Amino acid sequence: MTTTLAGGRAARRQTMRRIRPRRSPAVPLLLALWAGAAGVLWLWWDNTPSIADRTGQILAAGRITGLLAGYLMALVVLQMARVPALERRVGSDRVARWHAMTGRYTLCLVLAHIFLIMWGYALQAGKGLGDIVQQTVDSVTQLPDMGKAAIGTGLLLLIGLVSIGGIRRRMPYDTWYHVHLMTYAAVFLTFWHQISTGNEFAVEPLAKTFWYGLYGSVTALVIWYRILTPIRLNLKHRMRVEAVIEETPGIVSVLIGGRKLHRMGAEAGQFFRWRFMAPGMRFSSHPYSLSAAPRPDMLRITVKAIGDHSTRLRELRPGTRVWAEGPYGALTASRRSRGKVLLVAGGVGITPMRALFETLPGAAGDLTLLYRANSTQDLALWNELAAIADERGARLMYAVNSPDGARPDISAESLQRKIPDIDRHDVFLCGPPGFAQSVYEALRGAGVPARRIHHESFEM
Amino acid sequence: MKKSHPVRRAVLATAATVSGIVLLLTLKPASDPGSASAAGGAAPPAAAAGQSPQGGAQAAGSGTVTGEVAQTQYGPVQVRLTVSNGKITQAEAVQAPSGGRSTQITADAVPQLNQATVTAGSAEIDAVSGATYTSTGYKQSLQSALDQVQAGGGGAADQGSGSAQARTVTGEVAQTQYGPVQVRVTVSGGKVTQAEAVQAPSGGRSSQITADAVPQLNQAAVAAGSADIDAVSGATYTSTGYQQSLQSALDQAGG
Repeated sequence: MTTTLAGGRAARRQTMRRIRPRRSPAVPLLLALWAGAAGVLWLWWDNTPSIADRTGQILAAGRITGLLAGYLMALVVLQMARVPALERRVGSDRVARWHAMTGRYTLCLVLAHIFLIMWGYALQAGKGLGDIVQQTVDSVTQLPDMGKAAIGTGLLLLIGLVSIGGIRRRMPYDTWYHVHLMTYAAVFLTFWHQISTGNEFAVEPLAKTFWYGLYGSVTALVIWYRILTPIRLNLKHRMRVEAVIEETPGIVSVLIGGRKLHRMGAEAGQFFRWRFMAPGMRFSSHPYSLSAAPRPDMLRITVKAIGDHSTRLRELRPGTRVWAEGPYGALTASRRSRGKVLLVAGGVGITPMRALFETLPGAAGDLTLLYRANSTQDLALWNELAAIADERGARLMYAVNSPDGARPDISAESLQRKIPDIDRHDVFLCGPPGFAQSVYEALRGAGVPARRIHHESFEM
Repeated sequence: MKKSHPVRRAVLATAATVSGIVLLLTLKPASDPGSASAAGGAAPPAAAAGQSPQGGAQAAGSGTVTGEVAQTQYGPVQVRLTVSNGKITQAEAVQAPSGGRSTQITADAVPQLNQATVTAGSAEIDAVSGATYTSTGYKQSLQSALDQVQAGGGGAADQGSGSAQARTVTGEVAQTQYGPVQVRVTVSGGKVTQAEAVQAPSGGRSSQITADAVPQLNQAAVAAGSADIDAVSGATYTSTGYQQSLQSALDQAGG
């Protein structure tokens, strides 16, 4: 059974929009990040008239790493504050990768900071590197706020440990996620020792004000965008499951009803984090892309049953309350720069492509969708895609394995053969990591510039 | 979608961070020109030895003299004597080997050596068993201190009233976040010949900082002869309090 959500008025209106490419704010944001780091280093530089000896050098290195770690810690939290400018303009996937990268680096800085400072203190006390453990115990018990900082550091180490690739993959996603939430406690606990024992903050009231400002604004953003915004969104739109439809074996669509859903500002290609208020699903939220342009009374997600959560979606009853956070994601129409667009979907990666296929502005002949699946049976939503292609005058192609199981040929040559002017297209790409990587390379080989290949990947 | 190279990235990040920090550290001056404050850590001998003849001449009748630094295999040793009417009333080591096992040895041997010095009144003291190097260094520095006492001794007689000119004034207590700081200076002939902190923050980390910073500040005060001395890095509050109390002491000495 299939339902067709194509041809809504809202979707048709979107196809008439002008193409207005928007630049991602990633570069200015990264510049701001570096400027902040330079400011933090200047704080140290300005406060340190001279370094007397090796002990002084070790302590100075410890202070620098500590200051940088304190600064980056605030940014690590900021990156996960679901700030719209980051989630929708830079892209959730890219920000998540920044977060992982910054997090790892910050943890290394924290460890270096502890080691250097304790070594320096031990030297100051006339002891050697061998007494560093005793010195650490003494400092934790004697210095203000160091007990809190020690607990916080322990939490950070635990969080870092469960985020190591091998350990994370063996853990249920929910457990990992809830351990990760303890970051907030860890950051709170480690904050105070920076203020009370930090040399730079004791001397420089301005630095203290700046530090409170940094952490205060990050806290405000987290409270606003992770707590208040979702509450307001869900109180206003009151979403419930309308129906669950099996599209192909293993792929289900969930239709979600609610009030004034078009007012949520979701665009085709974006996703929400969904939490279904059903037994066993209440405590975890999962990101699923919209598989149709949002309608005032209806949203649709299409999900492949791979994990625990997605398998349970099949058993959702109509009427189940839905808690959504979003919209997030930057794989939208505003990424494109030119008239012609090629959409490439692999498997269930069709969901955002299906929504974009319906709504991307473009004249007849401008749009092409290439859909890769294992077999024609697995081409979920095919009837809808065919209907959209008919209506919009778009090209629709599929590539499936041959009956003997051989993979279809998707290479630079075959792409150029099918689409001779491929190098003048913007390409939107969504699919499993291996598929996306090979298509990306084929596209580059066919002459598509990297900046015109728009791709979202949640692989770290 | 560019290929990521996690190992290469980690190596690059580490190398960039380490070289950045090392660069920052090397760009910082090792010590402030015109100030002895930084010399306390790296090269105390020069500054201390420079002061001691002065101190010796002034303190021949009664006062303190500091011997030259004797380098030993485990670190420098330096002895300070308090002399009253030509007799040694007190001996102490202002520098002695420290770190790991040396700290224990020093804690054990130095009090014995101090005691022996006061008893003997000369450098003819026995080495403490198990602390041969420290004992040898101690005797060397002690001999140099005694030489100063004798050199100044002749002058002390005709300087009978001269030593009276040397006065000791104690500055007001300066309160800091970590505790009170109070400075006492000895002024002779309009020059600061000695500075010491009679009160300084103590307890926990503060004790460490005080032990580290106060000797540097004392030296800096003598070298500068004024309260215009640099703060010791890592001991900003103590330094500020020290400067305040020092200024008040100098005000008293001047007026």
